[in-house]
Amino acid sequence: MLRTAKFGALVGVAALALAACSSGGTDDSTASSDSSSSATAAEGRAEQLTIGAVVDVSTWSAQDAAWGNTATYMMAVYDTLLRQNADGTIEAGLATDWSYDDSMTVLTLTLRDDVTFTDGSALDADLVVENLTRFQNGASENSGNLSSIDSVTAVDATTVEIALSAPDPALLSYLAQNSGLIEAESAFDSADIQTVPVGSGPYVLDADSSTIGSSYTFTANDDYWDPDSQHYDTIVINYYADANALLNALRDSQVDIANLNSTSQIPDAESAGYTINTQTLNWKGLILADRWGVVDEALADVRVRQAINYALDREGLLAGIESGYGEVTTQIFGTGTTAYEEDLDSYYTYDVDKAKELLTEAGYPDGITITMPLSSFVPESEAQLIAGNLAEAGITVNYETAGESFISDLLGGKWAAFEFGLNQESESWATYKLSVSVDSAWNIYHQSTDELDALADRMRMGGEDGDAAAQEMNEYLVENAWFAPFYRVEGVIVTNDATSVTLKNGQAVSNLWDIVPTA
Amino acid sequence: MLRFIGRRIVTGVGLIATLATLTFFLLQFGSTDTARRIAGQSATEDAVQVVEERLGLDQPVLVRFWDWVVAALHGDFGLSWFSGQDVLEAVTTRMQVTVTLAVGSVFLTAIIAIVLGAYAATRRGWPDRAVQILSVIGQAIPGFLVALVLVLVFAIQLDWFPATGYTKPSDSVPEWLLSITLPVIALTIGSIGGVAQQVRGSMLDAFERDYVRTLRSRGLAHRSVVYKHVLRNAAGPALSILGLQFVILLGGAVIVETLFSIPGLGPLALSSTSNGDIPVVMGIVVITGVIVIIVNTLVDVAQAWVNPKVRLS
Repeated sequence: MLRTAKFGALVGVAALALAACSSGGTDDSTASSDSSSSATAAEGRAEQLTIGAVVDVSTWSAQDAAWGNTATYMMAVYDTLLRQNADGTIEAGLATDWSYDDSMTVLTLTLRDDVTFTDGSALDADLVVENLTRFQNGASENSGNLSSIDSVTAVDATTVEIALSAPDPALLSYLAQNSGLIEAESAFDSADIQTVPVGSGPYVLDADSSTIGSSYTFTANDDYWDPDSQHYDTIVINYYADANALLNALRDSQVDIANLNSTSQIPDAESAGYTINTQTLNWKGLILADRWGVVDEALADVRVRQAINYALDREGLLAGIESGYGEVTTQIFGTGTTAYEEDLDSYYTYDVDKAKELLTEAGYPDGITITMPLSSFVPESEAQLIAGNLAEAGITVNYETAGESFISDLLGGKWAAFEFGLNQESESWATYKLSVSVDSAWNIYHQSTDELDALADRMRMGGEDGDAAAQEMNEYLVENAWFAPFYRVEGVIVTNDATSVTLKNGQAVSNLWDIVPTA
Repeated sequence: MLRFIGRRIVTGVGLIATLATLTFFLLQFGSTDTARRIAGQSATEDAVQVVEERLGLDQPVLVRFWDWVVAALHGDFGLSWFSGQDVLEAVTTRMQVTVTLAVGSVFLTAIIAIVLGAYAATRRGWPDRAVQILSVIGQAIPGFLVALVLVLVFAIQLDWFPATGYTKPSDSVPEWLLSITLPVIALTIGSIGGVAQQVRGSMLDAFERDYVRTLRSRGLAHRSVVYKHVLRNAAGPALSILGLQFVILLGGAVIVETLFSIPGLGPLALSSTSNGDIPVVMGIVVITGVIVIIVNTLVDVAQAWVNPKVRLS
């Protein structure tokens, strides 16, 4: 028996050795793992694009789809009713035309009549109505995004009318994201709805060549209505659960384009020959949630919240936490929004004396103690830096280790203040809806003021006055220290020589059609 | 033999039932955010509630456990709460990858460790000390460090192997071999030491036995004594530790698979545990448990086969 085992062992070793030797001399043997974007003459498309992703797709169901980092997956297999270009402008998607009535509460969409899904069915207005209704009744972020919709009606085969309870300036953006994804009717009752997308997008998921949770292969949809946006015959998205694995994939030139997990990986990516493309995305800082003193009375005093803002050495935090990559700020609205004001990036300067003075005025000459959660979002070293800043002004942070139910506890109002990073949406209204509005998950105690409500009412109507109201809201939030932002975090996308990308304002990933071969 | 195997199966079923029960109830402590994770951070409380109802999380835990047991007994482990993939399909597909790595590693470990152990036991002196020192070093270096160094040298510097990724054998056997070589070596380096020490110790014990002295006094060649008799007697303990090593490697593969971005059980176990994807975790625990019991039974049978003095009882 041992003899047999020995023979088997030798065969195994020989096989491994042969395999190793066969790989030594040629590049061909690793071709499948190396990225290859060589242009082919046929159809004017490049052969393959390999994308390195840091987030896996959680579901292929359009109804439950998220956006953000998973947008690439969705954009491959689905179309959206509208498209949002890299600079944020809205363009035609499945809808060729769109317009509001004078009251801004009825949106009319005109649909394309040449769109077919991978199951052979065609796009029509009824299908759009069904999709939007399912989104509204679903249990994902889509439901909240479409909360302003009262009814959706098919006027004729290619016309859809969306009636709103109140104007929603962010609706067009939502319809260009996950809330505008349209899946075929056959998917609705399919048992495989979460694993088999039935879309009309530029690419089709090749399930046989894909491994859920690891690698996804897409082939160009030959019947696609917009072939100009198909730049590759095949797209492969490799998901890297580990930051080191992604770095090794970059060092081995296994991907053409990738999002980095953090700016600390930039030097390694550069030395591997990749081009670094950065833009500011999230803002990171403290959400001073308890502005009404529900669980921490001190935070109800605006002077205490302002003191926290003055106590932060934002430049130091940016250098210490992000190695200097990013931009310090004290506002939550992104640079591309109408609400943005450059002056508000430095409204609160680092001034410990001022912080102490404000605390004394508020009746806390001996300082205050605030309890904040310590979670996977906040590494210990980062927490210590922030606590060190605040301690100088007499603000003691009592860190409490968050459990598995961190997000639920957070949104349930367990902590009066906490560190977090929220997206800087491309539109002012979307930022308001995400972080400020009374029904927002991140307005933890769901409270507002008359001033904010009045400004929101003006923002809804858009136009010059809407833009002015957005700026006034921004000023209000900064002056009243609803938040204590540290800086805007830089999102990084790296590309090899064969690939170029146009970054999308306010989005972690670019539009799929904005990734193009350079050759 | 059949009675032994039958007893093992009965014990194994009891063990898996206990394991599944403990796992299910332990998971209840850490799964309170699952519905929120699925619905999204910005989803409304109502939306989260809908997800909880859809997953059955609004039911009492005993009801949920009973439902799971009944379905599992019918071979239905349910769907992943996150990917919607059939749990049995997801686990068995990934298990094949992990078992391939573990079997490859055990195979390699056996060959290298037996050679090193036998060499150390027969030569003694400095070769023995060298083997012992190398064994300790091999065991002391963390697996992830070995993996990182292997990638840097053999994938990035020399470009002999892919740094990450996995090719299915059905797509290309040579590329499949290339994709598993570094992970297998990374898993193997840490396990050679223990097995080599075991082989060395067992052989040294055997050398002291009367039958070896008798064989030598009858004029048998040294080579024949060592490889035909001593090694065979030392094989039993080595087989035991190799069986144990296989089980350890199933766990150890988590880090290596993650570092090499290999779609094995490791990354699935990590993501499903941190997400609170209970159906997947339960599927992994039960199926891994079954494999461990099968392997242990096979090791016992193999021991009896190798060494007739060992009787199954």
